[in-house]
Amino acid sequence: MSRSPARSTLEDTSLAVADGRALIACHNVARTFGSGPNAVVAVHGVTCQVLPDTRVALTGPSGSGKSTLLHLMAGLEQPTSGVMSWPALGGHPLGEPGRIGVIFQGPSLLPALDVAENVALPLLLGDTPEGEAAERAQAALDLLAIGDLARSLPEQLSGGQAQRVAVARALAARPSLILADEPTGQLDHQAASLVVDVLLQASAELGAALVVSTHDRLVAERLPNQWTMRDGAMTSGSDRA
Amino acid sequence: MIGIWLGGLLRRRPARLGAAAIGIAIAVALLASLGSFLAHSKATMTDRAVRGVAVDWQVQVQPGTDPAAVDRLVQATAGVQASAAVGFAQTTGLSATTGGSTQATGPGVVLGLPSSYQQLFPTEIRVLTGAGTGVLLAQQTAANLHAAPGDVVNIGRAGQAPVRVTVVGVVDLPQADSLFQKVGAPVGAQRTAPPDNVLLLPQAQWHTTFDALARSRPDLISTQIHVLRSHQLPQDPSAAYTAVTAAAHNLEARSSGGAVVGDNLGAALGAARQDAAYAQVLFLFLGLPGAILAGLLTAIIASAGATRRRAEQALLRARGAAASQLIRLAAVEALIIGVVGAVVGLAVAALVGRLAFGTARFGTSTASASAWAGIAAAIGLAIAGAAVLVPARRDLRQSTVASGRATVGVLRYPSWARYGLDAILLIVAGLVFSATSRNGYQLVLAPEGVPTISVSYWAFAGPALLWIGAGLLAWRLSDLLLGRGRRVIAWVLRPLTKRMSGSVASGMSRQRRPLVRAIVLLALAISFAASTAIFNSTYRQQAEADAQLTNGADVTVTPAPGTTVQPTAAQQLSGVSGVKAVEPIQHRFAYIGTDLQDLYGVRPTSITNATALQNAYFHGGTAAGLMHTLATKPDSILVSAETVKDYQLGVGDLLKLRLIDAVTHQPRMVAFHYVGVVSEFPTAPKDSFFVANAGYVAQQTGSDAVGAFLVDTGGQHSAAVAQRIQHLLGSAATVSSIGTVRKSVGSSLTAVDLAGLTRVELSFALVLAAAAGGLVFALGLSERRRTFAIARALGAKPRHLRGMIFGEAGVLTVGGLVSGAVIGWVLSQMLVKVLTGVFDPPPSVIAVPWLYLGAVLGITVVALAGVSAAATRAARGPAISVLREL
Ligand SMILES: Nc1ncnc2c1ncn2[C@@H]1O[C@H](COP(=O)(O)OP(=O)(O)OP(=O)(O)O)[C@@H](O)[C@H]1O
Ligand SMILES: [Mg+2]
Repeated sequence: MSRSPARSTLEDTSLAVADGRALIACHNVARTFGSGPNAVVAVHGVTCQVLPDTRVALTGPSGSGKSTLLHLMAGLEQPTSGVMSWPALGGHPLGEPGRIGVIFQGPSLLPALDVAENVALPLLLGDTPEGEAAERAQAALDLLAIGDLARSLPEQLSGGQAQRVAVARALAARPSLILADEPTGQLDHQAASLVVDVLLQASAELGAALVVSTHDRLVAERLPNQWTMRDGAMTSGSDRA
Repeated sequence: MIGIWLGGLLRRRPARLGAAAIGIAIAVALLASLGSFLAHSKATMTDRAVRGVAVDWQVQVQPGTDPAAVDRLVQATAGVQASAAVGFAQTTGLSATTGGSTQATGPGVVLGLPSSYQQLFPTEIRVLTGAGTGVLLAQQTAANLHAAPGDVVNIGRAGQAPVRVTVVGVVDLPQADSLFQKVGAPVGAQRTAPPDNVLLLPQAQWHTTFDALARSRPDLISTQIHVLRSHQLPQDPSAAYTAVTAAAHNLEARSSGGAVVGDNLGAALGAARQDAAYAQVLFLFLGLPGAILAGLLTAIIASAGATRRRAEQALLRARGAAASQLIRLAAVEALIIGVVGAVVGLAVAALVGRLAFGTARFGTSTASASAWAGIAAAIGLAIAGAAVLVPARRDLRQSTVASGRATVGVLRYPSWARYGLDAILLIVAGLVFSATSRNGYQLVLAPEGVPTISVSYWAFAGPALLWIGAGLLAWRLSDLLLGRGRRVIAWVLRPLTKRMSGSVASGMSRQRRPLVRAIVLLALAISFAASTAIFNSTYRQQAEADAQLTNGADVTVTPAPGTTVQPTAAQQLSGVSGVKAVEPIQHRFAYIGTDLQDLYGVRPTSITNATALQNAYFHGGTAAGLMHTLATKPDSILVSAETVKDYQLGVGDLLKLRLIDAVTHQPRMVAFHYVGVVSEFPTAPKDSFFVANAGYVAQQTGSDAVGAFLVDTGGQHSAAVAQRIQHLLGSAATVSSIGTVRKSVGSSLTAVDLAGLTRVELSFALVLAAAAGGLVFALGLSERRRTFAIARALGAKPRHLRGMIFGEAGVLTVGGLVSGAVIGWVLSQMLVKVLTGVFDPPPSVIAVPWLYLGAVLGITVVALAGVSAAATRAARGPAISVLREL
């Protein structure tokens, strides 16, 4: 389905950038944290693009830069060098709630809001009327089989439940791109498989591109494509397309 | 382990540690500054009391005792620097023939003074004309005799021929009351009027004139040893009083009844110690709440990290740390906060001392300086301990490893709220208040001649309980509003937060406790600032009224003694530029039984043209009502409460007074009817006096001679107008303007001026209000950096962040200011009532310092808005790093 999503050559990249359908285009992107001898190069030399039909698993050992790349793609981090662009999204996505649904690796629910309010938050930030936001939030929760947790507070949830709420929150806004960072990290096989089902189904229904970073082979294999990262660089991708 | 922990603490929580240290610093600085105010004002009071006394002791030599022996005893008394024997002789009368006519006076007193007298006691005798040594006539007597320097005066002697002396000078005896006091008179006896006629002779001449009389009529002759004491006294008026009176008693005891001490110095110090006690009460009333507030601030700041600290504790315990280790860690944290806060606080206090009193020391002596610094620092450390250690211990006892994670949870009502402590405190405050009001708000009791002074600290409980109770009630109401009333909050926030208002309101509601605490703290700080400021400005208003009362009006013109001036002279004064109105007021003396009192004759329909009459000066009617009565029933009279009590008067009772008839110079009975009580009146003394209708007094005594003219300048350029009038009248009158009087009148408490205290207090109140609002709010927001970061990562725009942050700031501002204003207003009312004794005269209306209150409001709003703006900016920063951090 996906076409040459990642290749480290300039020609291909210029071709990709020219592709107006690309949701995300990364051109020779690098991200370094800190400076001097303590500098950590989290991501470097990554060139890739995410098209509307991209469904890809991002794999790689711990510390290889998966989360950092996803944050770059979501516009939450600035590249230290290289160019990030979002041609089909009409510019930088930050401040455009709901265009990209991000599922964070760590806990990311607002502790003072209950589950339903957390899920409805991106909708409200995007100016969806309250009634509609509440309905869509409940629907997203039901989809992930946690509808009965709607009135619970985050601190009352298990790690896995919280992770599913985060998934629901990313989906409720009907994004055109889903970036999921270890969405199944704290889930058993059954629950993990449900989450992957939901993500794939949602991406099909919404026509949304899907990037899932994961350690879990079972999860990775359920996605049609795999990109692999090692020491901040993308080592494989296109050849599996 | 402690080292690692500390390093981490300092690296990761510098803001919270710093803020907590600021809280401690405020408490320490406030206490040390106020301590320095207290010590400073006490020393000033002692100083003033000592300086106001002309002759420290008048030791009356008892009949049959050798004056020289008593003088030797006096000289041998500790603290005595110099002494002078003064002879007192009663004369049957003085006469003089000047300008072809002979004038004679009634009985009088002839004093015999040693040549060193004026040098030793320079303020006792003021030379008006002529030479300063030799035969001197008192001003009133010179007027009565129409005598001037160079004239010959005959001194009448009982049973002997008169003696002729030549006058060389005329003098004023400004301290005649104490000079001619009846030494050894029982405490509380009616004052005796000084003699009408006084002549001063050099000591040798006095002896040749009266030594023979002393043998035939020893009852007419007496000797006093006037004593100058060392003024190296303890700085505290109370201690100085004790020292001086003890020395006096000691002298009396050693004289075996041969000497009685008229202790002028002791009396002055006795009055000063009462003022000192009031200063102490003020210190408590105004200083303690500030320190408590600063303590609360520290506690709230320290607890701002409670959620995280609990989580850390749970983690450490899960890893096997012992409870005692955790407590030790908390103790180290408290120690750091306490020490840093105390050091900063003392430095600030030194600075404040420098600005307010020109000295950096916290007291006036080194000992009291270190004492105050020590006390303030110790309290600072105690606050730090209480704010950090107590919650840490409570957490350890209550929380298990699991519940340490809970942050939002189900909010439990604190037990004080379940038992209705707020209501109980408010009720008790009301009861205490009504009990003290029945007591006539007598806060300080300093009975004359008794070394101990009693201060009713009990009355303090009323305002204190009110303040605490109202604070708790504000907690309950805010908690209710933010909890149950979250829909209301959402509705109010709607314009600011749009679609987010529901979520913002429920988030605020679930995490409302820190917000509620901030609201209560702000309310307490605002009410503290408001009530202190209102008290202070009411105090100033009354001090101004006191100056008005003492001077009588903006400018007061008193004709020279011995001259008779008609009311028509007012026209001359009206012509002076700047004069708005002139009102003559009569001043006579009237005997009621054997008591002599001042009597003021006023024109009731026009008196208020030139001076202000407050309703508080009168009982039994308003100022206007009683003046109306005086006008319509001219034989009406206003009497002091003491006289009403002594003579069991009822309204309408006939009151017969003896006034001097202008024609016969003899007293004659004048009938009045008692219509009301007067406690204060322009130009009148602080003790008993009468106020009557001037027309009636003139008609009954055959004289409409004016005692003083009250001149209204509209409050403008009084000093210049006074100067113009003085220029016009020359030496025919004394002219005083309110400005000069303002500096000299009042108790020493007015003199200390409260200015230092006011400045210190009001600036601390401002700082506290700003800190209570800004600092606490800022910490609360920084605790929730993560929330804002997530919202930002989810796509919140700056306007969303602004809405969330400013919405909360708005709730805090409105809640804190409204409750603060209400509490402050009620508290001011109570404070002014409870501290009635401090006011002279008591206020009939409270003065509200709008400018200062506006400044408090402004600073609070600016602080909160500033914090909100900074927080909004910070929240727009990179979200991911914040998310990774926590
Ligand atoms: N904000 C940051 N500051 C400093 N270093 C960072 C930061 N974010 C990431 N790093 C470093 O960048 C590298 C890549 O981190 P990243 O979180 O992207 O890895 P990851 O592949 O997601 O690992 P994991 O599978 O464990 O989640 C790591 O060495 C990490 O320590
Ligand atoms: Mg990761």
